Amino acid sequence: MKLTINGQEREVDVPEDVPLLWVIREELGLTGTKFGCGEALCGACTVHVDGKAKRSCVTAVGDVAGAAITTIEGLAPEGQVHPLQKAWVEANVPQCGYCQSGQIMSAAALLQARPRPTDDEIDAVMSGNICRCGTYTRIRKAIKQAALAGAESTPTAALSTLVTTADGPARVAAASNIPAAAAAEDKTNAEDKQ
Amino acid sequence: MISRRNFIQITLASTGGLCLGVTTSGCGGQQWPKQGQDASLRPNMYIALQPDGGVVLTLNKSEMGQGVMTSHAMLVAEELEVPVDAVEVRFADGAKQYRTSFGMQQTGGSTSTAEHYVPLRQAAAAAREMLVAAAAQSWGVAVTTCVAQDGAVIHKGSDRRMAYAELLEPAAKQPIPENPRIKERSEFKIIGKPMVRNDALMKSNGSARFGIDTAIPGMVKAAIIHPPVLGSRATAVKADAARAVPGVIDVLTLEHGVAVVADKYWQAKRAAAMVEITWSRGVMDNLNTDDIRTSIRAYDKDGTVARSEGNANDAFASDAATTTLEAFYEVPFLAHAPMAPQNAIAHVRDGEVEIWAPTQGPTVVQELVGRALGISRSDVIVHTTLIGGGFGRRVVPDGILEAVQISQKLGRPVQIIWSRESDTRQGYYRPLSACKLRGAIDAQGTPIAWSCHLFTQSLLGAQSDFLATVMPDWSSKMARQVLSRSASALASTGSVPDPIALEGAATIPYDIENLKVSLTPLHTRVPIAFWRSVGHSHNAFFVESFIDELAYAADTDPLQFRRGLLAKHPRWLAVLEAAAKFAGWGQPLPRGMGRGIAVHESFGSMCAEVVEAGIFDGEIKVARVVAAMDCGVVINPDIVKSQVESAIIYGLSAAIHQKLDIVDGQVVQGNFDDYPALRMHECPEIDVHIMISKNDPSGVGEPGLPPIAPALANALYAANRVRLRRLPLMAALADANQ
Repeated sequence: MKLTINGQEREVDVPEDVPLLWVIREELGLTGTKFGCGEALCGACTVHVDGKAKRSCVTAVGDVAGAAITTIEGLAPEGQVHPLQKAWVEANVPQCGYCQSGQIMSAAALLQARPRPTDDEIDAVMSGNICRCGTYTRIRKAIKQAALAGAESTPTAALSTLVTTADGPARVAAASNIPAAAAAEDKTNAEDKQ
Repeated sequence: MISRRNFIQITLASTGGLCLGVTTSGCGGQQWPKQGQDASLRPNMYIALQPDGGVVLTLNKSEMGQGVMTSHAMLVAEELEVPVDAVEVRFADGAKQYRTSFGMQQTGGSTSTAEHYVPLRQAAAAAREMLVAAAAQSWGVAVTTCVAQDGAVIHKGSDRRMAYAELLEPAAKQPIPENPRIKERSEFKIIGKPMVRNDALMKSNGSARFGIDTAIPGMVKAAIIHPPVLGSRATAVKADAARAVPGVIDVLTLEHGVAVVADKYWQAKRAAAMVEITWSRGVMDNLNTDDIRTSIRAYDKDGTVARSEGNANDAFASDAATTTLEAFYEVPFLAHAPMAPQNAIAHVRDGEVEIWAPTQGPTVVQELVGRALGISRSDVIVHTTLIGGGFGRRVVPDGILEAVQISQKLGRPVQIIWSRESDTRQGYYRPLSACKLRGAIDAQGTPIAWSCHLFTQSLLGAQSDFLATVMPDWSSKMARQVLSRSASALASTGSVPDPIALEGAATIPYDIENLKVSLTPLHTRVPIAFWRSVGHSHNAFFVESFIDELAYAADTDPLQFRRGLLAKHPRWLAVLEAAAKFAGWGQPLPRGMGRGIAVHESFGSMCAEVVEAGIFDGEIKVARVVAAMDCGVVINPDIVKSQVESAIIYGLSAAIHQKLDIVDGQVVQGNFDDYPALRMHECPEIDVHIMISKNDPSGVGEPGLPPIAPALANALYAANRVRLRRLPLMAALADANQ
């Protein structure tokens, strides 16, 4: 099947139900997208599919054939740095760094929908991404910094298209500390898997 | 114990000789090039100046987020007079000379900066002095008229200048200075300045390579199916369907699990779902955490006394004891849950093995892999990769040993990757611990007696393989194993005091006349390991919560109560006062919120924290945390701040949410839904203050953690007058509401 990854068309020969995460990592050799939980619970595997944040660990590759897929490697044009990446470095955000690709991809989708996000909007979207090093205060600061710098000058999507409000599936909803918005987004991913 | 001064001397003695060089290839095995073998200047095992002007620092510490790549590059840049970004960091491969942590190459115990603060600067200063001497010689001027500056040597009289790169050959002919001059603190230009991490960009654009991202030619991938009951084994394996999956190479029975090996990991995962396994009745089929908790409560004997002052028993019985309090505190088993699940690559060849892994302890890997393969540990080459979260979990090389077993059977390089559920369920936990506390105050509200009876599993006993690693390569394997076992036995029986179990409890600083601290070791067979801040992580919760109880019983403000007991401990008092001041202790708070304080010393550093929190709609809301930390001289203040922030968040996850329940030998929780980590919307505002200090650097990665759980519990008491004595606090809250 044909995939469009970071603007390039690539051919992969895998069953349609293979999670996009492993196709990206093992078939396409792009290792910036990380495996953390396999259940859309931690966000380390977040990529963009047609500009929307998706948990690639529960997204079947067959469902995204023909869509525009962006990974952390393709967030900024070759040799350039995305305003979020610049803000991330300036705020000294990463510690172990393993979750940060997913964090930045979620933040980039947020800024596309909300160029000047409020704290509640940051909470709603970013609470789908876990950081065990606890870099949240710096992530919040970096998102606001990038927003000020105009990461996305024109809003392209409403927050509601980024994060749906339907009830999540049992497993995700059972996670005691995921707020409704993030759980709902994971629900759309989980449904894509089926 | 080896004194700090001796330790530095030994370190230097082993690095100062001309015969020593370093590997700079990063994967060149243990045949490190010696001085003269190439065009680099290598005065010691740490530093290599390259002909292109670059400086390579071979670091025998692992980068797991704590910032050693940056802080240690800063130490080198300071003394070598080069920009920090000229220093490229590579990781040492476990070779003998890099075992500078009491005979180990090891990252843990918040020791990296404290350990390297002097030796690494001396190593860089030695290179600088050789370069300066070479330039002076070539110009025919006195060494004292030349200075090193920005990657070059300058002659002060004539402004002549030679870049380091031009000086490598003559510098290599200079004697290596035995006692190079390092700077006084007043001369520091780099140390003490906040600086962006040198790994920040690569960790923001996806280019950082972690262990899981490492690829070796010919490497295959393995998914591991682990037993549901800890410690059981596969007795029958039906794998025909799995073997028929395209890409599958083999299905192998391991010591504790079954490995499905395929060309790609996704193939191995698909096939793993088809394997049918019968598991042995494990040795832990009857293990239940609730039974352990009940047994501890019911235990009515005393423990082995580890510290005794005055006579606590008499004081409790005396008339002076007008109020006596008793309390039972407990904390659960905890997994570390690093973002990257356990993973490793091994390539076993004839008589040697190469490992690529995100490990905190290359020497432990060498010891245990060497033992498993029956080869010398010097034939175990360990390439340490970037670590996707350590927290102590990556001291234990269980996953690495699986990769070794599989590679040995298949004769090719193998990468193993665990599922999140395996990472949560397969052990090496922070031990379940509990504490029976008793305190008495007199009519004036002064505490006159303190008794603290700890219950915990011995980490010294469980992780005694460390003791084996500190013995030299030439010692027999038998001797090393005997040492491990005997130490383990002694620690487990409680016949020697276990400093890890007691840390932070026996070392209580409060000035109480009659004081007794005792320990009863638990035996559960649950695999345990070091978990960020180790014994301090639970003992601080016990001690700092109960001292708060005494303060309220004495009707004294908790800050004032602690002040009165810390007169002999000015560093403790200073962080306590600082945290209280910046937090606005005593100022009004919104309705429903309370303020709690705690102070604790660990890894040589003092940290006090003030938490503002409350309970709203049955949920714990933490609004703000103010921390004050004294960790001696600071290399990079922004990294210190970020480490304290990190310890607070990591500690809050454990304090509010996390526990592992074991039911009939099976760990119940598996992923981030039932083993939750703190998320963005729960993250408080955090304000970290670093004390200005003239002391040598002490620990940074861990000391921010111990005070957070008690400070939060104390805040919730202040808010609601409900004393929560069990972690996680959400579980305690559920108990309280029953």
